[in-house]
Amino acid sequence: MNKVNISISIIFVIVISWIFYLTNFKQDSSLTVRYYSVAELSDISNQIDKVKVGGYIKPNSIVISEEDQLEASFFVYQNDDSVKVYYYGIRPDLFKDDAEVVVSGSFDNSQISATELQTKCASRYEGDLKNTEKI
Amino acid sequence: MISQIGSIAISLAGGLIFSSFLFLGLFNFLGKKNYLLVAERAILATCYSIFLAFFCLLNELLVSNFNLQYVAQYTSYETPMFFKVTALWAGQAGSLLFWSFITSIFTVVYIYTTLKRMNSLKFHSYLILAFIFSFFILLSNFIANPFDPVSADIVVQNGNGLNPLLQNFFMAIHPPILYVGFTGSAIVFVMALAASISKDITFDWVQSIRRWSLFVWTFLSAGIILGGYWAYNELGWGGYWAWDPVENSSLMPWLTLTAFIHSSMIQEKRGMLKKWNFLLATSTYLLVILGTFITRSGVISSVHSFTAENLGPMFFSFLSLLILYTVFWFFKRKSYLDTDDRIDSFTSREGGFLYNNLILILMCFTIMWGTLFPILSEAWDGNKIYVGASYFNQLNIPIGLVLLFLMGIGPLLSWNYTSKDILLRRFKTPSTISFISGFSYFLFSASFQLYVLVAIMGITFTLTSILGEFYKSYKKQKKSSSNVFVSFASMLLSNRHKNGGYIVHIGIVLIFVGFIGRAFEVEKEFSLAPGQQIYFANYTFKLNSIESEARDNHYAFLSNIDVIDKENQFLTNLKPEKRIYFYWNSDPEKRQPHSELDIHSTIQKDIYSIFSAYDAQKNLGYFKIMINPLVNWVWIGGIMMVIGSLFAFWPSRRKM
Repeated sequence: MNKVNISISIIFVIVISWIFYLTNFKQDSSLTVRYYSVAELSDISNQIDKVKVGGYIKPNSIVISEEDQLEASFFVYQNDDSVKVYYYGIRPDLFKDDAEVVVSGSFDNSQISATELQTKCASRYEGDLKNTEKI
Repeated sequence: MISQIGSIAISLAGGLIFSSFLFLGLFNFLGKKNYLLVAERAILATCYSIFLAFFCLLNELLVSNFNLQYVAQYTSYETPMFFKVTALWAGQAGSLLFWSFITSIFTVVYIYTTLKRMNSLKFHSYLILAFIFSFFILLSNFIANPFDPVSADIVVQNGNGLNPLLQNFFMAIHPPILYVGFTGSAIVFVMALAASISKDITFDWVQSIRRWSLFVWTFLSAGIILGGYWAYNELGWGGYWAWDPVENSSLMPWLTLTAFIHSSMIQEKRGMLKKWNFLLATSTYLLVILGTFITRSGVISSVHSFTAENLGPMFFSFLSLLILYTVFWFFKRKSYLDTDDRIDSFTSREGGFLYNNLILILMCFTIMWGTLFPILSEAWDGNKIYVGASYFNQLNIPIGLVLLFLMGIGPLLSWNYTSKDILLRRFKTPSTISFISGFSYFLFSASFQLYVLVAIMGITFTLTSILGEFYKSYKKQKKSSSNVFVSFASMLLSNRHKNGGYIVHIGIVLIFVGFIGRAFEVEKEFSLAPGQQIYFANYTFKLNSIESEARDNHYAFLSNIDVIDKENQFLTNLKPEKRIYFYWNSDPEKRQPHSELDIHSTIQKDIYSIFSAYDAQKNLGYFKIMINPLVNWVWIGGIMMVIGSLFAFWPSRRKM
């Protein structure tokens, strides 16, 4: 193996090792976050620093504070399980009942204090037909 | 009637592509050329059937035939004509047909141009193309048929209409441009495999696949940049890249194709790296399909994924078969692809290209690892772990900065070997200017950041190096003409390929200028009543009024904010809006709120305003303001990239 190939191999090994270190060994909640199902969270009583949960907004569960419109709480559900989410900040335009959401934040007292709230991107939203009449 | 024709056309395409397999099999066993010709015609007829189906769907969208589920879901009577056309790719079923449509155009062009010159590639090209077509036709026929009627027990009075966020010119053209890049990479894939299987890698083939790659790369680049531009100007989160799995899926093939365009130059010049180039050319399309699998399967939770999740196993099977086929032929043709790949000198142009390839592949790997980590970690111990933007930034910022310097180092190196003296002479000016700029930043910056320092040094180094190359060529041309403009034009036209590449590199350098701005972004969320003001980031934001207005297809709350700079001078007036589409609908759930941003954009910075909510009882508006420095350089750089690529791609008069 010539020197160019040796240097390339060394760089490659260093970067790959760095990748493995970041994802598998470094304890940093900004790097990795565990995805929980709503059912899993329903069974957990202890505090978790960072969780990520996907699901749908439970109809009629959205409560917006009268004091501050940026403050909201709602329930995210998957099948029969649901978890309460508290969020402060600007909400996405597609945030409404039954919207598909992904939330990240800390979990304590059986509720998520979300720091991130994302709804399904508009370019991927496939809603039911809105202006129909049953025959 | 038209929808039935469209439906029949998709079915017919299925039959035709099946028959092409049959005739390819007959040609393979009996060796009669007529069978190959019939297979070719069957593939062409498949393409024409797909064209027909596509135009039928277009017609149904334009005439608002709400008897079709797809038309009712993505258009309404109020949808402007332009957006009725763009609804073709707004949903799953339409976008899959659109994918087949563009593949068909490429296939027809490939058959009538490239394969006319390269007969030996025909059989394997047809076989692989037929396989690709059969998969997408299968999906359009049985899984996501855009001609499916609405449920028999309802009458659709009006369609849903296209989501307001998608009613934007840039969002309208972003998907088709990206799709051209995605589907075009199939031709690169087919060419690489067919030539290797047929053992017919010629100089003409290398030039041809490079031209195809450059074309595909142009569209991939433009598509990615446009996606970012749309997200920034329409989505209201103030950024253009979030390392979302779907964004990453478009970046990965771009990186491998960029690597291929560079390393195929070594194959063209010195006949080296055949195996490596085979892997790069084929992996580009495999990554496109991997990305499509991620987007359409729901296997990774992403806000960009399509809702329907039934396509996952299909795409996974398709991807697995393509990988198996590629790997099989790679090992079978290993000895044919073997070349003497010894690159001994660090200071050679080919050495520079090799390091460039290494960096691009490492970036691709870090992104792929991060994107697929939820699947891998779940398979490993049952815990689904997502990696955040911080992971991608920690790895890709330093790797990207190395790439930035390499873009400047490459032009300073000679083929085979560059002597120490020449190296010192060529590096002197770029290095000096780079150090001066870095030192100036160190002295005068209010908030020092190491990455910013390195980025500034890299930008000035690379710009000086490329502009120096231009100047050298210009001086040569100047000898034959005294006119400055004539000399400059002949310098640019003298080697379009190389100069086009340099223009692309300048574009990437400018994008890096934009990236530096991210280090200095600030934002604030606040509420104001009319007449109130707030001071933030050296600006005073004064809310003059909040008014409301019923418009044709929405109801709007209009804010009016004066921005006053720190010298107390009026700078601009911002008018972000909160709109409610379908506001006439009695069911509040069927109304669609939308924040229409207002951005005061200059070359130095953007003042980005969002009207997020309105409390009518208190007459209070909720706003978010972001100060985003240097963002416009990303778009300027993106435009330069595309111009440079087109310049390199455009055929010269001599060749024509």
